[in-house]
Amino acid sequence: MTTQDPVSAQAALEQEIAQLIIDTLNLEHLTVADVAVDQPLFGEGLGLDSVDALELALALQKHYAIRIEADVKASRKHFATVASLAALVQEQRSACGS
Amino acid sequence: MIALRIEQWRAWAPGVATEEAWLAWAQSPRVLADQQEQPECLSLPPMQRRRLSRLARMTMEVASPLCGDDEQLPFVFASRHGETTRTLDLLGDVAGEQPLSPTQFGLSVHNAIAGQWSLLRGQRGESVAIAGEADTFEHAMLEASTLLAAGAPSVLAVIAEEVPPDAYDGWITDVPFSYAVALRLGCADVAMPGSTWQLDLDRHDGDTPPCPWPHALDFLRAMQTAAPSLQHAWKRRRWQWQRS
Repeated sequence: MTTQDPVSAQAALEQEIAQLIIDTLNLEHLTVADVAVDQPLFGEGLGLDSVDALELALALQKHYAIRIEADVKASRKHFATVASLAALVQEQRSACGS
Repeated sequence: MIALRIEQWRAWAPGVATEEAWLAWAQSPRVLADQQEQPECLSLPPMQRRRLSRLARMTMEVASPLCGDDEQLPFVFASRHGETTRTLDLLGDVAGEQPLSPTQFGLSVHNAIAGQWSLLRGQRGESVAIAGEADTFEHAMLEASTLLAAGAPSVLAVIAEEVPPDAYDGWITDVPFSYAVALRLGCADVAMPGSTWQLDLDRHDGDTPPCPWPHALDFLRAMQTAAPSLQHAWKRRRWQWQRS
């Protein structure tokens, strides 16, 4: 096992998630650099909608083998930004790993 | 008997999009090579464009120029086979016991493209999505004529087909290449520019071979080559087109 600086590991995960969002939702006019980690994904930010939320939840579950609960309030928090999604993936991974 | 006036038309197929290109095709019809090209639809914002399938892009491309920004036109979307690419992907996921994509699922229904047209162009009026057999084109004209008879001054009808994925080889044989035809139709008895046609349906008992071209494209060919009439036979139906 390689040891990785936790800060760069987090940045790498955020980049990966930004790319996943672009690929999954056909945002062909954007690159990872256009999606700031703390930019709101829905509404006034990136402009995603409720169908995107479902699509993104599915992609994250497939890609990271994690489970996302159908809790609207919690989802709203987790799906706010790339950074919050990365935190969710991180948390679910360590929960599954333990 | 139905009487229609073709006020305006647009058509798209791989490599054939202008009036001149369609005239050349009409004069010597041929099978066009289909390399999955699609209209770019660059006039639409990227966030709206991203959910348009190839079939939807073809539809937007031909319909858009025929509807003014301040106009509301009843819309007829006609396709025999519809979104075969999307539906085959979904069927593959079902067979593989994979969860279905909500976007793909939502947009796989036959009236999804009519819905996207309504959203993208702010069209709040009536829209119809139909699928018939090889004479889907004539059924679309019938549908449009009922909307005209109900009082619409003009109706926008789009007939669109995409070459289906390979899995359909031998099953779908009437789409030689992807195409979309948009016709802006008006009542025949109004003195306005455009070519006027009568359409009659008779019983077909003979063994007239099916038309070698999709009916909508064959009609386009007749319109451009000033043919006085044409016939499309399918099963027990014989559609007679006559210029008036």
